[in-house]
Amino acid sequence: MSELVFFAICFIVLALCLLYRLIIGPSIADRAITADSIDILSDMALILFALYSGRSVFIDIAFITALLGFIGSVVVARYLEGKL
Amino acid sequence: MKKASPSAIASTAILCFLFWLMITGQIVSIFKGEASAQVLIAGAVVSILAGLFSARFFIHEKAFFLWDPKRFASLIVYCCWTFPRELVKANIDVAKRALDPDLPVNPGIVKVPANVKGSYAQAMLADSITLTPGTITMDITEEDDKTYYYIHWIDVATQEPEEAGEAIKGTLEAGVRKIWED
Amino acid sequence: MRIIVDILILCSIFFAFAGVVGMLRMPDVFCRMQSSTNIATLGVLGVILGGFLFSLVYLHDVAMALKLLMMGVFYIITNPITGHAICRGAYKHGIRPDNEMECDKYGEDLEVEE
Repeated sequence: MSELVFFAICFIVLALCLLYRLIIGPSIADRAITADSIDILSDMALILFALYSGRSVFIDIAFITALLGFIGSVVVARYLEGKL
Repeated sequence: MKKASPSAIASTAILCFLFWLMITGQIVSIFKGEASAQVLIAGAVVSILAGLFSARFFIHEKAFFLWDPKRFASLIVYCCWTFPRELVKANIDVAKRALDPDLPVNPGIVKVPANVKGSYAQAMLADSITLTPGTITMDITEEDDKTYYYIHWIDVATQEPEEAGEAIKGTLEAGVRKIWED
Repeated sequence: MRIIVDILILCSIFFAFAGVVGMLRMPDVFCRMQSSTNIATLGVLGVILGGFLFSLVYLHDVAMALKLLMMGVFYIITNPITGHAICRGAYKHGIRPDNEMECDKYGEDLEVEE
């Protein structure tokens, strides 16, 4: 059972590596994509923790995070296109 | 903006209701026989409201177009076999490129014809192309009755529209055409 | 059964790792976007399928398994929209790669229209 937590830690470490790109990213689009990817990776960690603890509340939280990340990315894209 | 027809509203409401059943886990309690009627009625009312407001963005004509056994079967074949195969192939390819020490990329934007009819089929093919790593659809345009995609490709092998289309779309286009043909 | 779940999740971690390495190494915005698609497709689907099997077999929780499946469908539907929107927005905003691209049909056609 405990290997699920280990896998979740792997995902969190990958998300922390992406923070480097978020800081140095030369343009807005870089930062938007990187934020989206960090969102997805932390969602995966949440799902694995939900499987470990057997409580589906964490999956709900992951779903809401995914929804907000999607809306945020689309709003950033509209802003870049100059239509906001 | 066109007004939505009653059948469009009905199919959107049914879709919303099914999604709500899945996401709240009510579908399990229905099968166990312990669902309460109040909760189900509340969900149905909210899905009909959602259908009323959002049907005109989703469905324009022929609301129950996909409820044909042949089309539904080819949709299932597309979702379970044709598309995952291309997805895994492209994923392995891009992962190899990213982990290679020399970083063999050769990016460019090519123009590719799309031989499918109807806006749903075009949107579905564009989404499938975007979802396979290595290619992203950037824009769609029409020139004398033919539709073209502008695709950002990570490894440009050829600039000829037809050959590039063959390399990018592969078996996806035939599957999409089988689903949406009249 | 347990081994299948572990292998699925390990595959997912491998593809997420390849995507992260690609995002850190690729030369320009559009190539980085291709690597981010790599994270969002097989990096997600492995965890979703593994979690589906795990919650069906070990937790006996059908509602949770269905919720996980809906989440996978949600990712598959929304990810191409995000990628396409950010890609076109970045191009229209005037972001270009540093080194020359092999060919750029989109830019040529946009210039002809203007």
